[in-house]
Amino acid sequence: MLRLWFDKGTLLLRGKVGTPYGKWDPRVGCYRTKAMYYRAVLAYLEESSIPYRDDVQKLPPLKTLRSTIKLRPYQKEALSRWRHGCMRGVLVLPTAAGKTYIALKAISLLKTQSLIVVPTLDLIDQWKRRVRECLGVEAGAVGGGEHNVRMITVSTYDSAYLQAELLGNKFMFIVFDEVHHLASPSYMQIAEMYIAPYRMGLTATYERLDERHELLPRLIGDIVYSVDVEELTGEHLSPYIYEKVLVGLAPDEQQMYDEQMAIFKNYLQEKRIILKSAKDFQRFIMITGRDRRAREALLARNRALKVALNSEQKLDVLAKQLEAHKKEKTLIFTLHNDLVYAISRRFLIPAITYQTPKEERREILGNFRKGDYKVIVTSQVLDEGIDVPDASVGLIMSGTGSTREYIQRLGRLLRRVEGKRARLVEIVSKETVEVGISRRRGQKKTGEESNRAAK
Amino acid sequence: MLPSNLLAVWKRKGVIQPRYAKLSKANLEVANSLIEAYNRHLGEKKKVLKEFIVELEDSGQDYHFVRGLSFLLDRRSMFSCNENVNPVDLRRKIFRLTGKLGLATTPEQRKRIIENVAAELKIPVEMLEENLYSDLESELILEKFEPLSPQALLERYNLSMTQTLLFGATEMDFTASANWQKIFFVIKRLGLIYDAYKDGGFWVKIDGPASLFKLTRRYGTAMAKLLPVIVANSKWRVEAKILWKYTNEICDFKIESWKHQQLLGSHQPAISFDSVVEEDFATRFQALEAGWRLRREPEPVLAGKRVIIPDFSFEREGVRLYMEIVGFWTTEYLLRKIEKLKNLDVRMLVAVNENLACERLSNLGKNTQLNILYYRKRIPLAPIIRYLQEAFREVYSKQTDFLKELPVTLTEPFVEFEEFAARIGVSAEAARAALTEKTPDNYKLLANGLIRKEKLEQIRKRIDEQTGRSGRLPLSEVAKIIEKEGIDVTSVIEAIGYKIIWHGINIEKAEVLRLKNKTS
Repeated sequence: MLRLWFDKGTLLLRGKVGTPYGKWDPRVGCYRTKAMYYRAVLAYLEESSIPYRDDVQKLPPLKTLRSTIKLRPYQKEALSRWRHGCMRGVLVLPTAAGKTYIALKAISLLKTQSLIVVPTLDLIDQWKRRVRECLGVEAGAVGGGEHNVRMITVSTYDSAYLQAELLGNKFMFIVFDEVHHLASPSYMQIAEMYIAPYRMGLTATYERLDERHELLPRLIGDIVYSVDVEELTGEHLSPYIYEKVLVGLAPDEQQMYDEQMAIFKNYLQEKRIILKSAKDFQRFIMITGRDRRAREALLARNRALKVALNSEQKLDVLAKQLEAHKKEKTLIFTLHNDLVYAISRRFLIPAITYQTPKEERREILGNFRKGDYKVIVTSQVLDEGIDVPDASVGLIMSGTGSTREYIQRLGRLLRRVEGKRARLVEIVSKETVEVGISRRRGQKKTGEESNRAAK
Repeated sequence: MLPSNLLAVWKRKGVIQPRYAKLSKANLEVANSLIEAYNRHLGEKKKVLKEFIVELEDSGQDYHFVRGLSFLLDRRSMFSCNENVNPVDLRRKIFRLTGKLGLATTPEQRKRIIENVAAELKIPVEMLEENLYSDLESELILEKFEPLSPQALLERYNLSMTQTLLFGATEMDFTASANWQKIFFVIKRLGLIYDAYKDGGFWVKIDGPASLFKLTRRYGTAMAKLLPVIVANSKWRVEAKILWKYTNEICDFKIESWKHQQLLGSHQPAISFDSVVEEDFATRFQALEAGWRLRREPEPVLAGKRVIIPDFSFEREGVRLYMEIVGFWTTEYLLRKIEKLKNLDVRMLVAVNENLACERLSNLGKNTQLNILYYRKRIPLAPIIRYLQEAFREVYSKQTDFLKELPVTLTEPFVEFEEFAARIGVSAEAARAALTEKTPDNYKLLANGLIRKEKLEQIRKRIDEQTGRSGRLPLSEVAKIIEKEGIDVTSVIEAIGYKIIWHGINIEKAEVLRLKNKTS
């Protein structure tokens, strides 16, 4: 009889029967196939009436789920499309459209061992909380030093990838939150090394700049449902107002900026280097490893940018903005940790960066949720999907110009606050490179135009 | 291992190498100045130390190199936070207060909040300001640093770079001179798959389960972890395919002990014994001088797809036997071992500790014609010697039997026993016995081989001519004539009716003298 079992992220098949899936592995002397073909192998064996013994699954025990989830009409529609797509596929919904609830509803219907894969540790906490609230069970967690496998388990992409050998045969259903991450060369192995026949991807931003999202259909199925912000705004999401405040540098700052930038520009001109894309820039960084002067030019540029980012004038404008929105919950974003701490020290605002201890981060977010803290200043950690309920003001102190980041940041402010419109204010230095960055950003969709119109 | 952005490489025509730091005077100086900097900055903030390092980078040093070294030194350091004030508590108090009183958007408001909290904690305002973020990485204090020599630092740097390069490996082949037990133990623990083969020496190719379907860097980290165990040997060679992620090309990477050992450092522990039992056995056996060469952890034995790594091998004249020492065991374990050995064309003695049995011995039944030797405290020598001799005799007689069957047809003018034995794969003694018994008529038996009679006659004639009537000739002259034929002098001299006369120990002065009664 054909015997089938799980071996470190792959399936081994031993027996005299050939199947279209096995590849002969001379190292161990039997057929081997990717774990993702588990469902297909079984279907083939059943259809061909081939007797087999299946030792693949090692599932954690089931628990009774008590679902309290009531889906909105578009969420129901999304779920039913997914079920019609053989319980595989991607749902594209804007941030705050309640993707979490659709996935949890799917788990409660399937009543099976489920793994939820998320990009950050914060999201592990958030999903665990939702599982507790909506399904009445405690979820396990893998990642950030925890390793606790339960019927419903939440893991980071990193841990799911690194521990595929151990976890690959423990779940029948996988939910990929922020599924665009899955397309990266290493993370895509998660999809390949897990047996789970049922798969769901969730994202607000399906497309990747590197086009690798084209690999996703093979791994988890096609897009089965897609709706964008415009279709939902007004009805389910609160619209926001975007505003840009230009700030000039102080004379001494401007002088320092010009000097340093000149060093950089002169070097580029002299060497006829043109930096247009991110790739050009990467190539330039590579040169700085070998070329002394290139490195000096780069350092000069960094100093100039630092002046622009940390401009005193900008901090004054920030103070005014904070005064103006005193009563509202506010998030301040900046990419630079130094600036986060400078702002935190100056205004005595709690800060969250990658360096913030996990406990403290949890406490700060909790207090913010309760309203004990009104403002948080943060670098990138809150970027994706983390719930910061009813924050109604966002202040951007700097940025990189990436489209996805922009949408996600806006999304964070899209929580419904009793009929109130959210406000997003970007504070940019006048006459510096930064203007270029944020102009590039604004050109992409969901930018200022659509929201100015909403004003 | 270093972060991949600190890995510096040379890449040309599909070959890749880390840019190893030579143990040159200049590099040793950089290493030394860094080590001293860490020593000097004990008790200071990390950011002060890092400023020094940035200065070093900016003063013309390769920043990959400087940062790489500093990364390794960080790992030998302990940075800690001032323990008098808990910054997390401090912040909580301040943020709660700002939550109540409003943000510090003016200097007055800020001062009010800070003073308030300082008063509550009964600490000076300056201390509060100082400690507000004293748990940040850059604010931590260098408390301990475990120094090392500049040379050791460079060696570690080179080893770390090699490991970092291997992160991108899709497969790796290697050979090593010893340490196999440990190597295979690590391979298994890391979840790698091995494929052992012979190519000059004993080689092992490793990759992982999913490597079957496509090239993957997934197992690179595991290969990097294996590397230190391999290069801890006196001789080794490692070859790997690196998938270079920046250009997506496959590059060859090779290192070998004679070239690279110096760069990576020689962390060679003396032959280590797993247990006192083994060490004790080896010492006593060698003292016996029983004519067997004992080797600790010999080259592994290929058993089909599997590999067996015996603890000892005994060698004598091309006959080789193995011994494995078993500590804790169960019947099932022993039976599995026996099964593994059964179809194998090697002789293995298994020494089993009776005291460490997890089940009763009787459970094993009579299943074991395999050579199991029970011991309690020390491994007894007598039964082993007996076993070895029996086995030797058996192998030996098998070989002589084999030779008896073998029709001996010789064509060469001179046949040496040892060379003949090696050619057909038997022991020299067996070859000697067989050829002595079955010397073909046209050959004459010598001490170390057979010589064709015509050849012998030819040699004698030539020497007779040279010696003339005196019957004497310097040995060196004779040697010239005989060794031209590729034959050892001393064994032939007597066969042609001469003997060597020694005048002292100086071989130059020795002569050969024709005997009166010619024997042939």
